[in-house]
Amino acid sequence: MKGAMVTLQKELMSYFYSPVSYLIAVLFYLWRGFEVFGAVQMFSSFKLDQDLFPSACYGLTSTFFMVLLVPGVLTMRCFAEERRSGSIEMLMTAPVRDVEVVLGKWLAAVAFYSLLWMPTVVLLWALSLPPFLGTDLAFGPVVSAYVGMFLLSSMLLAFGCFASSLTDNLLLAAISAILFNLGLLKLPDLLRQELGESAKGYYMEQLLSKLDVMGNFAQWWARGLVDTSQIWFYAGGTMFFLFLTTLSFSARRVA
Amino acid sequence: MLWSLPPAGGGPATVTATARMDYVRPLRRSNGMMISVRDLRKQFGSTTAVDGLSFEVQRGEVVGFLGPNGAGKTTTIRVLTCFHPASSGDVRVAGFDVRTQPLEVRKNIGYLPENVPLYPDLRVEEYLRYRAALKGVPRKQRQSNVERAMERAGVLDVRNKLVGHVSRGYRQRTGLADAMVANPPILILDEPTSGLDPNQRRRIKALVKELAQEHTILFSSHILAEVQDVSSRILVIHRGRMRADGTADQLVAQSTERALMVEAHAPAAALQQALVALPFLRGATAEDVGDGIARLRAQVDPLGDPRDATMAALAQRGIVVRELRLDMPTLEEFFYRVTEGADRAEEGVA
Repeated sequence: MKGAMVTLQKELMSYFYSPVSYLIAVLFYLWRGFEVFGAVQMFSSFKLDQDLFPSACYGLTSTFFMVLLVPGVLTMRCFAEERRSGSIEMLMTAPVRDVEVVLGKWLAAVAFYSLLWMPTVVLLWALSLPPFLGTDLAFGPVVSAYVGMFLLSSMLLAFGCFASSLTDNLLLAAISAILFNLGLLKLPDLLRQELGESAKGYYMEQLLSKLDVMGNFAQWWARGLVDTSQIWFYAGGTMFFLFLTTLSFSARRVA
Repeated sequence: MLWSLPPAGGGPATVTATARMDYVRPLRRSNGMMISVRDLRKQFGSTTAVDGLSFEVQRGEVVGFLGPNGAGKTTTIRVLTCFHPASSGDVRVAGFDVRTQPLEVRKNIGYLPENVPLYPDLRVEEYLRYRAALKGVPRKQRQSNVERAMERAGVLDVRNKLVGHVSRGYRQRTGLADAMVANPPILILDEPTSGLDPNQRRRIKALVKELAQEHTILFSSHILAEVQDVSSRILVIHRGRMRADGTADQLVAQSTERALMVEAHAPAAALQQALVALPFLRGATAEDVGDGIARLRAQVDPLGDPRDATMAALAQRGIVVRELRLDMPTLEEFFYRVTEGADRAEEGVA
């Protein structure tokens, strides 16, 4: 797994060198700052239950921005850029296993994405100070919400890597990933409406509830509830897409 | 037509290479045979890029891989570096099978791809440190390996520049530094001098010669002078098939196309008559070029020197010779003959 660590380091370095990363960060923090400020004003003026604050944060548009757009944009370069520039030849003729390269690139994406979220912790802490909410935020829901976001983003980033491995066109990679994310956000509701009664069966209900990622956030993670079946769903999805990415990457050798 | 010659035994490169072999990563199961290709075939859909290619490269050799564009050089090299799988055939590098032991093969080669695709967002030194780590150079040795590779490739003065900002020549040399950073026993360089100006080309050639003292090198090119200068043996491939294998001298000597040119103060008819009887001259044709001077050209048999006998025959008739020259065939002519010339001959026959 040494190759994975080396790839992780290099890819992380590339994220920090890329202007796109800073653009995303600036956009997200500005937007988030305004939105959270608005939410705080609402909570303090209506004296709402503080425990609901994390789940309110998950309903913010900036969260959707991070779930819908950012994973695809972060991972679009991963393999598509290597193929476009031809550097994939250097990578594939170096003595590393394909799975190590895939893991390294995905880990770097996960690490950078998680780093993007980190400053929002500071935001939450600052909010608990007297001029704002004035009370301590409940620790549990905050932690579980971050864990949930980490699990979900791992899967979305794994899909982003997969989309990137299919093409040498960055835009196409990003758009495919965004469409997938959009599908996850919208599909469960649409399916429930379309299927009507037939969606009420046990397995169908289970599948739809797992797919309904944002609904799960509001109901479970953001309220401090950890559902192990959801953990398995995200971990399984992540592994599945990483497996597909490795297959797709290795398939270059056959062509 | 296949020009098959025994491989050059013990050129200067072989001697020096064995003397300094301790520098090179230890090998297993190779018996001095660094690259062995048997009946390699590679198809892309219905196109056959490589069609039954076989050759061997011994330890310490510098082999020039020559052929026109589209001959199958890059495809062969990509099979050797495990980038493309072979459609059929047995390919071994450093004793390892490219099909079943690709990681071992890749550990033993340093590869410079044709267009030198590097990461433009990294600095030269950063890039080389990353590559050294990726190639498994132990952390303690990494910096010294990178320093050494940068020094040898001559990229020390751009070490802090972004790869995307350096000139084509420096990129090429950064690629070379990358190829040698892990001290692999085999270097495979695909057109290392393409797109460079004559000065840069000269520097790369000098570097390849220097590297030949410690590494086995296979490099492709379509520039003949370069291959002739640097390599101890030449392989010529065309349309995916081996057309010739030998040292530059051997290949040139095989060529029968030597020509004699005589310019003399005499009418064309007299000049032709004086030489037509000589048995070793074929197809002699003379023409007047003005000022009472005639010029004669003739094909000469490959063996022996015809100049003395020609001179004597002319002197006997009292013809004053202005110039007498034996045009030696060049590698270029040979190259043309086994590639495009061969195609034309085949078409003519068909």
